[in-house]
Amino acid sequence: MIQHLVDGILVGSFLSLGAIGLTMAMHILRFANFSHAELLSIGAYCALVFDKLFESLLPILAAKIGPLSMTGALAISIVLSMAITGLSAVLIDRFIFQRVRQKGEELSMVFASFGMALIIRNIIGLVFGLSAELYSKDIAFAMILSRDPLLLVKPDQVFVLIAALILMFALHLVLSRTTFGFSLRAVAENPSLAQVHGVNLKRMIAAVWIIGGGLGAVAGIFYGLSYQITPVMGRDLVLPIFAATIVGGIGSVYGAVLGGFIVGIASNLALVILPSGYSPSVPFLMILAVLLVRPNGLFGEARA
Amino acid sequence: MIGVISYLVFFSTIAAILAIAVLGLNLQWGNTGLFNGGVVASFGAGAYGTLILGGTPQDGHWGGFELYYPLALLGGMIFAGVLAWVVGKLTLRLRHDYLAIATFGVAVAFENVMRNATTVTGGAQGIRGFERPLQSLIGSGFTYNLMFLIAVLTCLALVYVFLERLTVSPFGRLLRAIREDETAARSLGKSPDKVRLAAFVTGSVIIGLAGSLYGTFYAFVSPQDVLPILTFQIWAMLIVGGAGNNKGAMAGAFLIWGSWTFSGWALSRFAPVEVQLYTGSIQFVLIGMVIVGMLLWRPQGLFPERLVVSQPGGGSRGKTQAEGLT
Amino acid sequence: MKKALVFAAVAAGMTTLSTGVQAQDCTTKIGAALPTSVDWGRPIAEVAQFAVDQVNEAGGAGGCSIEMVLRDTQVDPKVGVDAAKALVDLEGIKVLLGAVSSGVSMPILTSVTVPAGVMQMSCCSSSTAFTKLSEEGKTNGLWFRTFATTGVQSAMGAKVAADKGWKSVAILYKNDDWGQDMSRLIAADFAAAGIEVTANVAINDAQPSYRAEVTEALTSQPDALYLALYPTEGKSAVREWISLGGTQNMILANSLKSDEFRDSVGLQYLGNALGTDTASPRVESADAFKAAYEAKFGSQPNGPGLANSYDAAMIALLAMEAAGKDASGADIAAAVAKVTDPNGTAITADTAGFKAAKTTLAEGGTVMYQGATGNVRFDANGDVSAPAVVWKFTDSGTEEVEYLSLTEVDAFIASLKK
Repeated sequence: MIQHLVDGILVGSFLSLGAIGLTMAMHILRFANFSHAELLSIGAYCALVFDKLFESLLPILAAKIGPLSMTGALAISIVLSMAITGLSAVLIDRFIFQRVRQKGEELSMVFASFGMALIIRNIIGLVFGLSAELYSKDIAFAMILSRDPLLLVKPDQVFVLIAALILMFALHLVLSRTTFGFSLRAVAENPSLAQVHGVNLKRMIAAVWIIGGGLGAVAGIFYGLSYQITPVMGRDLVLPIFAATIVGGIGSVYGAVLGGFIVGIASNLALVILPSGYSPSVPFLMILAVLLVRPNGLFGEARA
Repeated sequence: MIGVISYLVFFSTIAAILAIAVLGLNLQWGNTGLFNGGVVASFGAGAYGTLILGGTPQDGHWGGFELYYPLALLGGMIFAGVLAWVVGKLTLRLRHDYLAIATFGVAVAFENVMRNATTVTGGAQGIRGFERPLQSLIGSGFTYNLMFLIAVLTCLALVYVFLERLTVSPFGRLLRAIREDETAARSLGKSPDKVRLAAFVTGSVIIGLAGSLYGTFYAFVSPQDVLPILTFQIWAMLIVGGAGNNKGAMAGAFLIWGSWTFSGWALSRFAPVEVQLYTGSIQFVLIGMVIVGMLLWRPQGLFPERLVVSQPGGGSRGKTQAEGLT
Repeated sequence: MKKALVFAAVAAGMTTLSTGVQAQDCTTKIGAALPTSVDWGRPIAEVAQFAVDQVNEAGGAGGCSIEMVLRDTQVDPKVGVDAAKALVDLEGIKVLLGAVSSGVSMPILTSVTVPAGVMQMSCCSSSTAFTKLSEEGKTNGLWFRTFATTGVQSAMGAKVAADKGWKSVAILYKNDDWGQDMSRLIAADFAAAGIEVTANVAINDAQPSYRAEVTEALTSQPDALYLALYPTEGKSAVREWISLGGTQNMILANSLKSDEFRDSVGLQYLGNALGTDTASPRVESADAFKAAYEAKFGSQPNGPGLANSYDAAMIALLAMEAAGKDASGADIAAAVAKVTDPNGTAITADTAGFKAAKTTLAEGGTVMYQGATGNVRFDANGDVSAPAVVWKFTDSGTEEVEYLSLTEVDAFIASLKK
């Protein structure tokens, strides 16, 4: 029971990171981006390439950091991968979403994103092959925190959780303390009014994609570090991330963080009550339950 | 040549069945503005309902009532309708994207139940249906497929006529009124919640009919038939064809299903042997590009909705969007 | 018998020199509807193409060279059925290989191949519904599958646990038609062998994490873990299991006989892992498939369905050879008995074997195909039974630990039934 709870929090940490980007894009651009989770794949595979590259160039970087299965090479790769993923998110928006946005309506965007997800996922499959990859083949053993009740935690997971929390806190500071953060909120509230007040809309949209892509890349890499990297990881993660976003309320960054943890914990705890075959339904039962009580999610506000 | 005709008959049967489902979705989205992300739940309810009611008894799971076929077909549709009523009661007051995700979740849960409730639904092994109606009379060859196609086209025509009538009826006007401006409709003493629920259930019953015919034709249904990809396919058909236009919805079904299967055929035919193994992934990339390209080129669909509202200045539909980000 | 084999092979080599040129003049198409867009589906298609290449090297089948037209099913029944129908109607195939999932194979069978009189040979569809359909006489003898019944696998799993003295076992199974079957059968077999099943946990496809499922199995603290999974989710679940300190006593279904699985879990953790599988017969020539496969792909043929897919293609092509040129699907299906005849001349699973078979068949004889999965023999419903092995992972691939002949397998299954 406690084990399930702890596991849920740890799973929640990368769901939250993924959900932050999704909720921001959904709020500002007003569409459900089904290709958001593909940014996680792009990030994870990017890091894989750089990781292998650095390890072969500078073997010293291949050493593990402390008890983690993280290496120096991977740490540098994370930063590079964040940048590249953010950039590709901006490019995808420039070339596809922006044009669809100018011509069509909300639903066109949803479908364009679905189409983009298919394209990205399968190109990754063509380039890297369909089978799963790992950053490190070694298995990191869990630390036993307690025997009764059994409580096991992996060092990697603790690192992932702490790193995720630090990133979230940094984002919180940016959003609440800087002019950029205010402009972003202004755009979300009322794009035309914000523009009148001199906010550069295009730049704001690009910023949202960079933040979303960057955090998505981290989420993808952390996911790969904890489990494995596959071309279809976007498909597997998109629904829990959506669930996190919706439970938290679209547009609320704090809601997304909380939503990620709620979905993570719920999917883990569900096995205590439900047969394991039903576990894919759990995030949705969560969504339904939350929406029945609060039709706009926990922190979302009604919007026409 | 015989082969080509035989294949086209087969292809058209599935395309026509999907077209019925697209018409059902068009009533929900095109006319009423309900973003149903769980199309596959209604489709599956129809297929499972019909096969359970009309099937022969099987070991290991419930069902096999061997009902007279029209009753089984009707039963499947009713099952889809009842499910939609329950889902609608719970979710229809939600906003677009919330509604989409909530109904999507219902569909995932539906697939999950079909997969796991082995004693009721046969589990992951699926349900074997019954011999297709009249098959013992006509045999199972080309003639049968042709007859089945005619039957499906008849259903499609009936649904089309029904929906066209409905669209121009006062009820149809009411649906559009609610879609465009709910507050105004409410101020005229209409009850949007009830009307929306009625449209949602009717659309789902039509999608259920498609599912029933599908299950009948294959004489088999399994959880693999009710995966979210089907929802996506049916939506893509509606978007490409043109939401709000019944003719467009049908054309979209034939076009999308045609390009879906044609791309597979063309790749297997013309791609070199070494590439053959990658055709699966290449095909998905192509499908993605067709959809994205279509939305870039003609987002309103091939057959845009003809607004029948007698109001100068045309639809206010674009306006609600203009409030957003353009 | 070995002499006869060599002689047959040489004779075949000589005859094909004269007939081989002729054989290339025409091309017969066979169809394959397999999920090439799925990670485990692509190798299954590759190995079927490999069998076709070998047969073409031997001069083709039925007097013509063979072209395999491959279509992706996308694991979507609609797409798979349409692909099969196109193959039958547009390409004029008489033999269809596929599909993998029962949920795709079944509608293809009922709505395409049986009405059109095309023989369908699946490598991997495991559903018992096919047997029932066949018993009702609705497959017209056109349906075959080289997938040995799950019953053999599960009985062997119980035997391993009993022999090792493991008293309690937790089961992780893939939540599809095959996995659900396995979990039910293995739980019953464990119970019959007096072994406690502490947890029976479904592993769903496409889940981001299997942590909760693994924890569920872990808290029941079993002596051993039984895994009826594919490599993709198998390695994810097992890595999790081991990192959480779960026991390394593991019993693996044959689907995990995969280098990918071994490499990503790590051989050092698989020392106590024993697998079960259906076996090749105890003759020297039986490793022909393995050797040819290693030469071509540079690794052992380990992966779900590979050996089955190879046998499916080979048997179908042998049957085409036996049925002769321009045979109908029903003729080819009827000829399957001629090439899997227990009293026939034994032939190996490679180019030479196919040449040998050509000679024997031309002389009006019958052959016994000693395939990658064993002496494949179909019963009236198109199902196979086979001898079994217990295996474990080694540096280079896998190694046999124990071999059980068909009679020993049957005897053990009977002892469980008591």
